[in-house]
Amino acid sequence: MSSELRAFKRDNGQWGLRNHVLILPLHSALSATARAIADGSHGAVAISHDWSGEIDNDLPRIIFTFSGYAANPNNFAVVFLTVGSDNESEIIASAQALGLKRFTNVALPEIGSMEGLRVKAIEIANQYCADAAQEKRVPAPWSALVLGLECGGSDALSGITANPALGVASDRLVELGATSVLGETTEILGAEHLLAARAIDPEVGKRIVAMVSRYEASINYEGIDIRGAQPSRGNIEGGLSTLEEKSLGAAKKAGNAPLTGVLEFGERPKTSGLYFMDTPGHDIEQLAGFGAGHINIVVFTSGRGTPTGSAIMPTIKVSTNTPMYEAIPDLIDLDAGTIADGIETLAQVGDRIFNEILAVANGQETKAELGGHHEFSLSRMYKTTVETTERFINAH
Amino acid sequence: MSPVTTGFSHGNRGVGIRNHQLILPSVVCSTHVARRIAEAVKGVTFAHQHGCGIIGEDVAGIDNFFIQLADHPNVNSVLVIALGCETIQGQELAAKLLQSNESTQYRIIQESGGVEGTVAAGVKAAGELNDAYPATSTEIQHLRVGIDLARPVKELVALEKLLHDAGYEVITSQSEFSSAESFTRLAQEKAHIIVSFPDDSQPASGFPLIPVINVASSGFLHQAITGDFDIQESNLIAEILPLIAQVAAGSQTVAERNKSGEIRAPRVVRSV
Repeated sequence: MSSELRAFKRDNGQWGLRNHVLILPLHSALSATARAIADGSHGAVAISHDWSGEIDNDLPRIIFTFSGYAANPNNFAVVFLTVGSDNESEIIASAQALGLKRFTNVALPEIGSMEGLRVKAIEIANQYCADAAQEKRVPAPWSALVLGLECGGSDALSGITANPALGVASDRLVELGATSVLGETTEILGAEHLLAARAIDPEVGKRIVAMVSRYEASINYEGIDIRGAQPSRGNIEGGLSTLEEKSLGAAKKAGNAPLTGVLEFGERPKTSGLYFMDTPGHDIEQLAGFGAGHINIVVFTSGRGTPTGSAIMPTIKVSTNTPMYEAIPDLIDLDAGTIADGIETLAQVGDRIFNEILAVANGQETKAELGGHHEFSLSRMYKTTVETTERFINAH
Repeated sequence: MSPVTTGFSHGNRGVGIRNHQLILPSVVCSTHVARRIAEAVKGVTFAHQHGCGIIGEDVAGIDNFFIQLADHPNVNSVLVIALGCETIQGQELAAKLLQSNESTQYRIIQESGGVEGTVAAGVKAAGELNDAYPATSTEIQHLRVGIDLARPVKELVALEKLLHDAGYEVITSQSEFSSAESFTRLAQEKAHIIVSFPDDSQPASGFPLIPVINVASSGFLHQAITGDFDIQESNLIAEILPLIAQVAAGSQTVAERNKSGEIRAPRVVRSV
């Protein structure tokens, strides 16, 4: 039962592996100010985004994303920046319903100016940062750890080195009682039957197959065959030939554990075990879905290398090949290319990944955290163009 | 004839009222590196979520969106910052930009030693561009004023006539709710300057390459944050011409001072 894990226990019973004060602008026009607030504070983090309060078909998904992200247990407190709309109020209410207790809403119309908002929010953020520094990690059960599994810029070694090694670590964590969530529906197209066969009951198996069909249909609806657009050009340059080959390799991140359940984008897993979450393969949108789903740590395997990180979730990056690890050392935490070189076994690299997850969960900073990589993207299902009309009046 | 305004000669991009160096991230993954470079060289950049995970019409759509921003007359030079494995390939984007403007370079994170290596290489490349393309003053023949109409404006016709009679080209773009869509359209139409009438429920906002003059309505939100606006609608006809002249001559708008200006490229297909 006891583990070496030490985490922050939240009032609502959830566990945080970080103790962030998050500056969350709920309008795109406040994004630059949110960054300035984080930069001017004693350690707060911020995200920026391009949502201006548009009321369209994606609104429920956007409300769900922001509220889940705010309520992520890695946040000690949240400073919302708002312009005073009803949808912003709904986001904050939804975050409270998901368990967010410590927050302040700094509303632009009450403050009177963007500059005033910046000054006021820094003051509040600094008070939260001081309070956060008083919090102590306490021994936590393995169920406190909710791991997200992601890959990006896959190459021909992904399915042989980093992904199966991550699978070893994921299996071990699941066996100990942690939760592990595989994302990226794009990355399991053609391999869904393998995951369905591991489902704990036929209903879960049916759901994952249906989720993949639904995803393909949502792309085909636009007259596009996803199997013609994947693998990406970067993947092909990395040596992958088909989407199925890519998917078979990608699914190995989830090891061999039984599939406990299937989650919608940004939905929180309710129990321990292995889950699949319906997210796009777009790395940053997928990380937003993980954050909204209360995942508190991520391992990201890559064949090509990426700076990607998250404002709130420590993101451990593992290279599939040693030349890439050596070429861009400040992006990658661990190298799994040693398996291909015959220097280490899969089990040994799996152990290293497991140990790294534990060390990072206990507070060790990742390369992305040290570099301040706080990318964020909203995931939208519908087109963002709206009708505009224009007319010209030419000068003489 | 426009009133005589001095601007910057930007080759095939035209004559601009700003002399911006655009640090253009070709993908969301390179926006942080682009920002670090831009802060070091006082260039202009913006965060966006595009460049990868896109299919169908959006691939060409996003590519063209970047090209049109890079070809804007307020831009002096462009440094593309790519990751390397994204859908919109940075070197191909740069090659397209180079067809019309020599003042273009690119750097790729996966080939430049990671974050620190790319920041160093990018700062150096930006410096080379600045040395090779110094600011050159010239007269603007046709200042193009974009009007973003996200709310009904009683004096619109009078405003258009006023600007027209003053010798400006005028483009009016009407949007439903958010000004972001209009800003994109007006940037593509190479407006030098934008006069924005945000919806009553929307704050003042900006656009990275173009000075935006925000006009406050008499509504609750706008009156609560008058300091974020450049002009009151009630003073529009009396004050707009001198204000445009000042901004065209280099005076910063409130949105420029606040560096506000997230952009959203139009998308027609969901991300994958």
